[in-house]
Amino acid sequence: MGDVKCAFIVQKPQYKGETSRLAMTHALAYQTVEILLEDGDTVTPSLCFVGEGVLGITKGQKAMDIYGITSSESHLKNCLLVDLDVYVCKEDLDKFGISVDQLPDAEEMGAEKTINVVPFSEIAKKMDEAKHVLFF
Amino acid sequence: MSLGVFVSDYKLSSDTLERLDPGKTGVILVLNGVWHALLKESGKASSLLDRFSKVYALSEDIETRGMLPAQVDGRVKVVNYDGLVDVVFNEFEKIAWL
Amino acid sequence: MGAITMGVYPGLVGSASYDFAIKFAGAAAKKGHKVSMWFSGNATGSVKAHQKHLKDYSTGEKYLTELLAAGVEVCTCEACTVARGVQKTESIEKIQWNAMHWYLARIHSADRVLLIGGE
Repeated sequence: MGDVKCAFIVQKPQYKGETSRLAMTHALAYQTVEILLEDGDTVTPSLCFVGEGVLGITKGQKAMDIYGITSSESHLKNCLLVDLDVYVCKEDLDKFGISVDQLPDAEEMGAEKTINVVPFSEIAKKMDEAKHVLFF
Repeated sequence: MSLGVFVSDYKLSSDTLERLDPGKTGVILVLNGVWHALLKESGKASSLLDRFSKVYALSEDIETRGMLPAQVDGRVKVVNYDGLVDVVFNEFEKIAWL
Repeated sequence: MGAITMGVYPGLVGSASYDFAIKFAGAAAKKGHKVSMWFSGNATGSVKAHQKHLKDYSTGEKYLTELLAAGVEVCTCEACTVARGVQKTESIEKIQWNAMHWYLARIHSADRVLLIGGE
């Protein structure tokens, strides 16, 4: 069956509910799914943040210090480190007054990928291209 | 049609639905989403029914709320769980829950 | 017949989305479709056996047992489940325990994927 593309669309903000965080941890599992699949089969998620989903993904988070839980920033950096494609909706960043330089990168961890800030039309394209669309 | 979107709330907390292409998207009303098919707030039906041409509503969730399928807006096709399974497999290429 | 993989995240008590997921899975299985369910987040609390069915509350056990008997595959996220204090030895029989890659693997083989996120 080869590669199955999935669009993981995060539309809820981080930290109150669990769903938005689970989008990242589930996406990260793409690295290990091969142990359960036939040779040559893969699952490739695109992780996309839209609407209020762009809230709670900026850098400088202190969730571990304050609540003792891994920060969403840290999950996001791990996603970049394992070469996931991460997209953040530009219109929504603009709407909430969040600048691109507030978004984290994982360069210090050795990640080659960075967050792609794109118009919603690009994210819609990812949804079109995907076999499955999952809203978190 | 490409994407069937489950709507389970009446007042949406997300604006995602408004951004989806109605030419490629249909709507499946379940749980409190069925109010979109039933209510006429200030005399006006839900704007969701104007925007999307393919809309389904789950009869069990209509009846659970003390309403009748006969009260549903004529643009909405009422299906039961059995019919909903067919909608999911036959009417859309992919599905999503908002 | 097709294959559907359902991700279920809402809790058993306090969200009708869980009840919807169970009923939909049953309807799909009855029509001969292959149904795989992945429980994550608060849904994982529902895999504990010996639930008391009080009629003011939804129950998972009775319906999950029926789904399992009908050939529906149910797997709970081990990390989510133990984080809620439920051990494997306390689980409803035949429910699988695994990690998130199980879900992605079932997504790979599915014709349809329905993720019902938590509230």
